[in-house]
This record gives sequence, C-alpha cells and structure tokens, in this order.
Amino acid sequence: MSTVWLIPAFPLAGALTNIFFGRSTGHRAHWIAVPALGASFLFACAVAARVWSGAPFTTTLGAWIVAGDFETGITAYVDNLSAVMLLVVTGVGFLIHLYSVGYMHGDPGYARFFAYLNLFVFSMTMLVLAGNFLLLYVFWEAVGLCSYLLIGFWYTRDSAANAGKKAFIVNRVGDFGFGLGVMWLWTELGTLDYAAVFKGAATLSPATATGIALLLFMGACGKSAQLPLHTWLPDAMEGPTPVSALIHAATMVTAGVYMVARSHALFERSGSALEVVAWVGTATAVFAATIGLVQTDIKRVLAYSTISQLGYMFAAVGVGAYVAGIFHLVTHAFFKALLFLGAGSVIHGLHGEQDLRKMGGLASKMPITATTMWIGGLGLAGAPLLAGFFSKDEILGAALGTEHLGIFTLLLAGAFMTAFYTFRLLFLAFSGAPRMPRDVLQQAHESPWVMTGPLLMLSVLTVVAGFALGLPLDGSRFAHLLASVFHPHEGEHASVVVLLSLVVFGAGGLLAFYMYRQSAVKPEAIGQPRTWVHALLLNAWYVDWIYDRLIVQPIYVLSVALAQVFDVGVIDGIVNGLGRAVSAWGAGLRRLQTGYVVNYALTMLAGAVVVVAFFLAR
Amino acid sequence: MELAAFTLIALIALGSALGLILKRNAIHGALFLVVNLGSVAALYLTLGAEFLAAAQVIVYAGAIMVLFVFAIMVLIPGKEETGPDPRRPLRWVALPAGALLLAQVLVILVGTRGPTPVGSPAPGGVEAIGRLLFTDYLFPFELTSVLLLAAMVGVLLLARRRT
Amino acid sequence: MSPVVPPPAVALGVLLPVLVVLAAAAVVLVLDVLPPRDSKAHLGGVALAGIIGALLAIVMRWGTDARAFRDMVLLDTYALYFDLVICYAAALIVMFSMDYLGRTGSESGEYYSLLLFSTAGMMLMASAGDLIVVFLALELMSLSLYVLAGFFKQRLTSGEASMKYFLLGAFASSFLLYGIALIYGATGSTNLDRIAAAAATRNAEPMVLIGLAMMLVGFGFKISSVPFHMWAPDVYEGAPTSVTAFIATGSKAAAFAAMIRVLVVALRGAQPDWSALLWALAALTMTVGNVVALAQSNLKRLLAYSSIAHVGYMLMGLVAGGGPGPGAVLFYLLAYTFTTVGAFGAIALCARAGEEAVEVSDYAGLARRHPVLAATLALFFLSLIGIPPLAGFVAKFYLFGAAVRAGYIWLTVIAVLNSAVAAYYYLRVIVYMYMREPDGEPVAVAPSLAGGLALTLAVAGIVILGLMPAPFADLAQVAVAPLLR
Repeated sequence: MSTVWLIPAFPLAGALTNIFFGRSTGHRAHWIAVPALGASFLFACAVAARVWSGAPFTTTLGAWIVAGDFETGITAYVDNLSAVMLLVVTGVGFLIHLYSVGYMHGDPGYARFFAYLNLFVFSMTMLVLAGNFLLLYVFWEAVGLCSYLLIGFWYTRDSAANAGKKAFIVNRVGDFGFGLGVMWLWTELGTLDYAAVFKGAATLSPATATGIALLLFMGACGKSAQLPLHTWLPDAMEGPTPVSALIHAATMVTAGVYMVARSHALFERSGSALEVVAWVGTATAVFAATIGLVQTDIKRVLAYSTISQLGYMFAAVGVGAYVAGIFHLVTHAFFKALLFLGAGSVIHGLHGEQDLRKMGGLASKMPITATTMWIGGLGLAGAPLLAGFFSKDEILGAALGTEHLGIFTLLLAGAFMTAFYTFRLLFLAFSGAPRMPRDVLQQAHESPWVMTGPLLMLSVLTVVAGFALGLPLDGSRFAHLLASVFHPHEGEHASVVVLLSLVVFGAGGLLAFYMYRQSAVKPEAIGQPRTWVHALLLNAWYVDWIYDRLIVQPIYVLSVALAQVFDVGVIDGIVNGLGRAVSAWGAGLRRLQTGYVVNYALTMLAGAVVVVAFFLAR
Repeated sequence: MELAAFTLIALIALGSALGLILKRNAIHGALFLVVNLGSVAALYLTLGAEFLAAAQVIVYAGAIMVLFVFAIMVLIPGKEETGPDPRRPLRWVALPAGALLLAQVLVILVGTRGPTPVGSPAPGGVEAIGRLLFTDYLFPFELTSVLLLAAMVGVLLLARRRT
Repeated sequence: MSPVVPPPAVALGVLLPVLVVLAAAAVVLVLDVLPPRDSKAHLGGVALAGIIGALLAIVMRWGTDARAFRDMVLLDTYALYFDLVICYAAALIVMFSMDYLGRTGSESGEYYSLLLFSTAGMMLMASAGDLIVVFLALELMSLSLYVLAGFFKQRLTSGEASMKYFLLGAFASSFLLYGIALIYGATGSTNLDRIAAAAATRNAEPMVLIGLAMMLVGFGFKISSVPFHMWAPDVYEGAPTSVTAFIATGSKAAAFAAMIRVLVVALRGAQPDWSALLWALAALTMTVGNVVALAQSNLKRLLAYSSIAHVGYMLMGLVAGGGPGPGAVLFYLLAYTFTTVGAFGAIALCARAGEEAVEVSDYAGLARRHPVLAATLALFFLSLIGIPPLAGFVAKFYLFGAAVRAGYIWLTVIAVLNSAVAAYYYLRVIVYMYMREPDGEPVAVAPSLAGGLALTLAVAGIVILGLMPAPFADLAQVAVAPLLR
C-alpha cells in the first residue's frame, strides 16, 4: 500500500469522526478537521517531491468492479499534474479550513460543517488521484454531492436549499453526458484505465473521438459552470463563504479543466472537440465578465468572475496550451480564494452585509483585510508581476501563437472587463465614504487572526507564485515541471501580448477609478437599470428565465398532465371528495363499483391488444 | 351429430356467461353461473372426460355454488351498488377492445393447425386421473393443497373480528 | 388388476428451503392458538427463525443442480440466487413488521403465516421448471399478498387496496393461464425444456407467440410494467407499509425469476420477438414511471412510481440478452431489493400523530430530530438515484453497460436521461428532510431493536454492494449460467 492513500485517508477519517461524534466534538470539531488537512498536505508534499524527482507511478488499492473481461480497480495514478493538483487542493484547503475556524465560530452546525468540508477534500483528492475514468466519475459525483450539502448548509434559508438543489440538478445534466461518454469509451476500447485509454485514443476514428470528447466536456461544463450550464454557480453563493472559496473558486469547479487537460490525448485525437472547448471557454469568459460588471452583491461579482476565469482556463486548454491552463488554475486558486476569504472577512465584520452599495470606506476599519484584498484584486485584474499577470499572459500568448485571433481579441476584451469589475469592487468596498448605517459602521471590526492569517498567507502566494513559477517568460519553470505530462508547447512569448494586457489593465482600472473613486458614488443609482443593456446584464442575460420557461415549466406541465392521465388516483380523489356525503362504506363500495378498477382493467386489456398486435405485425 | 351437440352446449355456455356478467341481481348472476358450470361439464362429457364432468357438477355446480348463493343472500345489502358513474361511457371501450383481442386470437388460431396430441389421448377415467395425480402431477397436486391452506388462513384473517 | 402404480419420485431435498419456510408457517399457525393469547410478539421471532433456517438451507445447497418431480422443480444456482434475495427481503420485512405492527399491537399469527406462505410461493416461482408450477406458485404468492394488503381492516384504504389488487390480479392471472394453455396447445407440453424443444421443431410459431403475448401480460402485471402498472400506486399506498415493501421487492423479484426463466429457457427461439417488445415496454415503463413520479406528493405513491421506473431499467437487461444481460438484471434486483426494503422499512418506522407519515411534507425537518434515520433514508434515496458508491450506482453501471455492449445505444440513452430526471423527485424528499422546518406536529420515531437491526442490515447491504460489487456480480453471473445451457 502506498502512502498516496494517506492523502485522502486523513480527511476521510476527520469527516467520519465529526459525523459520528459531532455531538461530543461540537465546537472543538476543528481540532480534528484542521490537523487532518495539515497531515494530508504534508503527505501531498512528500508525494509531490517523490514524483518530481522520479517518475509517475500507479498504485492499486484493490479490485473494485470485475465483470467478465472488464476489470476496474481502485487505482491511483500520480504524475506531476496530479501532484500539482494535490498540493493546491490540500494546501489551499488547509488555509480555508483554518479560516473557517474563525468564520463559522458559534454556528450551531459547526461540527457538521467541518465534517462536510473534510468529506469534500477527501472526494476531491480522490478525484485527482483516480487512475481510471470510472473512479473519476464516482468522485466527480461525490464532490458534487458535497458541494450540494455545503451550498445548502444553512438549510433554514429557503434560498440556500433551492440553490443546493439547483446546483445538483444542473450538474446532473452535465453528468448525464459525462456518464454516456465514459460508457461509450468503454464500448470502444474495453478499458477505462488512463494509460490504456490514452494509448488507445489513437486507434479511435476522429468522429468517435469527437463524440466521446464532447460528451466528457458536457460533464466539464456542468462542473466548471461553463455556458450553457453556468447558472448554478452564482446561486451557489448562498453557501458559507469558506465553501465558496474552497469549492466554488479554488478546487471543485476546476475539476473540469483538470479532466480535459488529463484527457488531452482524447481531445487531440478529435481536434474539433478542442476547438469547441476553446470557443465555449472564450464565450463564457466574456459572457460572465459582462454580467460581473453590474452586480451589486460582493460575492456575486466574485462568482461571475470565477465563471469568467474558468472560461479562460478552458480557452487555454482548448487552444492546446495545457500548461497555461493549469498555471492559471493554480494562480486563480490563490487569488480567488483570497478574494472570497477577504469578502467573507468583510461580511463577517459587517455582520452579514453583502451589498456593495452599503459598504465603502472600510480600509481604515479593516486594514489587513483591505490590503490583502487589494493584492488579490490586483492579481485577478492582471497587475504586472503578480500571479494572474503571468498566467493570463500565457493564455493570451498561446491564443495568439496558435493563430486564434478571434479568441485572442475576445479574451483581451474580457481582461479589460476583469480589470474594471475588480477595481469597481475594491473601490466600492474600501474607498470613499462609508454608506452603511451608523451602528453597523461602529461595530465594524477587523477579523481575528485565524481569519487574517490565511489571508496573509494567500496574498504572499499571490505575489510570489508568478515569479516563482512563471519565469522565465519563454519556457517557464511551471512548463518545465509539467513537461512530462504535456508535450512542450512551442511558441514564443510575444512582447506585444504583455504590452496589450498592460494597456487593458490600465484602461479598466482607470475607468473604474473615474466612475467609482473620482466621482461621488450614488448608491441609489447603482443597480438600477438605466438602459436595456444594463437590464440585460443585471438579469444575467435572462438565462435563468429562459431555462425556466423553456425547460422547467414544460416538464412540470407534462408531468402534471401525465399524472392526470395515467394516475387516475388524482381524479379518484376529486370524485371521492364529491361523494364524501355518503357513508364510508358506501364510498368504499362506490370507488370499487363506479369504474376505477374497471378502468384499470380496461387499460390492461388495451395493453394486451397492443402486445398481441405487435406480435401479429412481426 | 357431435358438432350439433357441441354447438348447442357451447351456445348455452356462452349465453349463461353473458347472463352472469350482465345481470345486476347477484342471485340471478349466480344462477347463470350454475348453468354455465353445468354446460362446461357437459362439454367435458363429450370429450370423454367423465370423471372431470362429474367432479365439475358435484364440486362446483353443487357444493361451491350453494355456498356462493348462501353468502350472497347473507351479505349483500339491498341495492346499494347502483351509484352514478361519471365515467360510465368509458366502459363501452371495453367492447371493441375485447372484440379486437378476440379477432386477433382468431386470426392466429384459425391459421394454425395444432400439433398432433402427444402421449395417451385424453385420459378421462378416475383411474387415469388418479394415476397422473400421484405420478406426473404429484407436485402440483400437493402445491394446490398448500395454496388452499393459505387461502383458508386468508379468509380467517379477513372474516375474523370485522368491526 | 391393473399394474401397481410406480411410486412417484419424491426428492424432498430439492424442496428443502421451501419446506423450511412452509414448516415455519405451520408452526406459527399452531402457536397462534396456544397461550399467550394476548401477545403475539413471539410469532415474529418464529417466522424470522424459519427464514433464517431457509437461508441456511440455501447456503448449504449452494452449487447443486438438482431437478425433481419429473422436472417440475429445479434447484439450480439460479433458483438459489433468487431464494437468497427473497429470503433476505422476507427476513428484513419480518423484522420491520415486528416493529411496525408491534407499535399498534396488531400483530397476528395469520399475518406472519401468510407472509411465509407468500415467501414460499415466491421461492417456488424461481424454482419452477414447468408452467403449471409457475402458475400455482404465483397464485400462492399472490393470494397471500392480496389478503395481507387488506390486513388493516379498520382502514378503508387498506381494504380497497386489497380488493383492487385481488380483482386486477385475477384478471392478469387469467391472461397468464390463457397464455399457458395456448403454449400447451402449440407444443404439447408445459415443461420448459420440452416447450423449447417442441417450439424448435414444430411449425407452430404464431400460436406460441400469442401464448407468449398473453403470458407477458400476466408477468407484466406482477412486475408492474406499463401499461399493466396502474394497480401499483393504489395498492402500495393502501397496503400496510411492511406489506408494500414485500410487494415491491419479493413479488417483483419472483415474477422476474419466473419470467426470465420462461423467456430464456422455454421461448429462446422467439428471442428476437420478445426482445423487440420488451424494448418498447422498457422505454415506456421507465419514462412513465419517472415522469409521473415527479408529480407525487405522497411518499408511498412516489416510491410506487419509482419502482415502476426501476422495472423499466431491469427490462433493459432482458432486452440485452445473452449472459451479461440477465446477469445484470439479477444484480440489479439484489441492489434494488436492499434499497427498496430499506426505504419502505424506514418509512414504516416513521409515525405521525399515531398515523403513518406518508406525505413528503411530513418528513420536513426529520434530519434535525432523527439525524440517523434521516441519514439512512437519504442513503436509500441516493442509492435509488444511482449515486456512487452505493449499490444503485453499480447496479445501473452493470445494466447500462450490458445494454450498450449489446448495441442498444438508444435505449441506454433513454435510460440515462431517465435516471437524470429521477434525481429530482428523490432529491425533493432529501431536501424536505434536511432543509425544511416541520409545519405541524413533528414526526415521532421510536425504532425497536428489530427495526433498528433491519435498518442497519439494509444500509450495510447497499454500502457493501456499492463498495465491493465484484463478488456479488460474479454470483449473479454464476446464477444465470444454468439458463444458458
């Protein structure tokens, strides 16, 4: 047995302990959950060191499903890519666990929260470790389940419960495709093991490869909130903020990117599937950024920003720049987790206020939060020399280098919007005059060290990661690290890209500065649609509304209609209501004698006629 | 001669079956059932199955029907069954549906010649039936007794302490 | 003098598991009239002991391939596999009944003996090598269940369920019997092997086919496949919940056992025909089941439609045919039985103000008051959705895999789409349990030792099946082997 299994084992043990002994661990639940993650992180480091100095390896815990010639084990496949993912999941996960100690303090479901959080990390590490598509699928579902549990964590709020349900169901739509893709893969190749599949991918016909790849990508769209399955992520902000940071920014939502990068052999066999990935990613990046421009809820701005940044990652892997995509995944995990945690700190300090219109001037009240959030924001906006700058540049450069001019232009426009909405958020929250009620302002306070500590750690990572991994610009250290997984990506780093991205960063920042810093902020004017474009963006392009009218309502109507046709019981009840005046015995007799049993029998008779006719016709 | 006898008996059987279904009065229905069982017994006779015919008359037309009529007289209260049925017209669908099924079955059966009978033709005597019951069909025979026991227990359960 | 009748071949060993169950039924009947007259709690224990004895007998006999009574009764691994499933379900249901009936003090000897009688009928259906035995065993099972459905005599819905089930069941039985008669007419035999041989040589194809059609109506009723399903919601709702659990699992498993054997052994010549028909029935059944379930607010009706949908999935395995298809059905039945018995059992444990809690809204806030019970119920529902790593997921995986491999891509697509739809209504219940506050009197639960044990066994079943399905899948494959000779 390999030490690899200890990485998921610790969080699993932590989760089980807090589930079964939640009553006794209670407000001390973190004494189990946080060390469990720490240990997991240490082992992840050990495994990463081993893989980086050696070769990728496979280890099997045991046979799992054996059916005839089909055999699948609980197998882990560890290479440099999984090592990077493991470090991000356990490392960022550890910081967020620590932060949760402060954020969730005093919540009645404290132990439950840590149990779910541990369970999620277990599932996520297993997803990353999985050595075959079936295991991947299993934990793909498992992380979805954890996400559902955590979004609906404050289940007494109706909106939270509904958001959880929405996330689960939208994800099921994607998983439906993913499941079909896995099955198709199996029928074509007779195996689901990574090594065999990627070797066998070359034998697939391009059309088959395209079909399978697109079905798998459908799953990725659901999990990573890409068009048209993005609608659940903004609603998922109903969950506690550490959950948004961990699951809906840093880790789970990037599983789709990881999966596409991992299966790149399959996607490359198809070619056109990669093109689809690139365009869906680009469209999502721009689409979500436009919505982010006008949101007034601090977490929703970040949610749309996450969707948009995930779009960047997909665009990167779509144009074949896997390293750039994964690099952005890593840096995004740092600065977006930082931004969410910072937002959580603000919300915590303001006793639950999430509306940007009722903030402002917080820099003096919460200096650490403000500073760290500025660092995170600059990272996201692509300020020079911070993490996001390097990774976003690599993506833009790759799009240009592979002559995807349309994608390049759109992503550049997205970068402009990113800079704008990020600065808008920072100005509205921390600068200017305070806009909240006086008593809230007086009680506003900096968060305790367990919360600011992780913020500081993450801002250090945001500052350092770019230098450490992104240099030198031609063939970065990160690319070197992943060279054994992805064949090196040829293409020079064009200085024109650096220049252009600096220009859009500056332009976006300046525009925001002019609109929200230089001129007086009129809170009553923000969030009020002035033009139809503004209204369109405020309502997120009415996608939810369209889905409701086009899909949800018709299915509901159909279901009710079918229930009335097939389920005579409904009508039965109405009739029974009419006849309630008659004595119970009479009513009982009537129900039997006025035809309902006869009608059931009639249906059976008709069925028999059809069945016989079927055989006659053959 | 045989054909004429068969046709006559079959018509009586069909007619009494229709009467059983269509009569509203349960007692009348039961009496039609007696006629029906009797005519089926007569059919058995024409096939040379004397024992079966006798058993049919004694057990079904005799003993069971007496119980039946007795139970109806004791239990059925008046004319409560005739309530308005809002979906009564639907019942007429049963007629064409049933006719269609009959037509389908006829289409197939008329076109098919049955197989030549296997084994000894129609053992009708008591001895032959007894022999079969205790050799080939021993298991179904025993299983039937279990079935009857279960039915008895069920009746006990349903009939007891009805409040 | 006529010659002495040759002594009949009696091989009671072949019947051992069934005989143990029947003996237990007889003991229960006798003990029922002996003191103590006021308490019948011990009778459940006797019934349970009988079933455990039968389970032991099954394990003892595992691997035999015996036939007796002129090939009317077969005891092969196929029959033993189903015996195992049925006895497991029966054991859990007896335990749930001890809790469920004990709470209202309505336990009775007749109840347990009828439960055992129907168990014996189900086991014989799996062992039947002759259409006559199929019919008699089916009647033994059904008759007992008709009565059990009406066990709560003071409740009108219970009596109504019983009556509906009985009338429609008799109607369906007449189709089955007519089918048997037609097949006998066409082939001159009721023995499954001889039918297969005769159908292969004789040119009586149309008559066999119409007999097959009639038999499918009869079986279709028992497994509640659309359009022969309409009794199910009414009966499931009205019958005592413990009986509902048995109707939903045991009787379905037994009907599948007989149906698969008849189709695969006796009518293998007509495989293209019935497979095409079952394709349509499968698609129709799963779609109607799932879509109508969306609109249900009564949990028992919801589960009724859900069980109809699951029948649709299982029919897929029959369509796929070959070895893997029926094998996957057998495995699915095992997973389905564990899950469904558990779900109904958990519902039986919930009582609201003395009445049963059957509306979905009755379960609001259950997670707060009874976290363990809510968690187990949620597990059952997640398994029904097919969430890994629970039994339902693996079962669907095998089943869909078998269908895909046999080339039934579209049917699989329909099935996968259906299982995505199904997630919604199962999830709704979980949402109620975990994310809603109760609006009235809370659901009161007081599981006894027997109920708690049964619940634990059911959960263990779905978790073990989900985590280590390989040995059980092998078992199912070994079990179908006798059919394919």
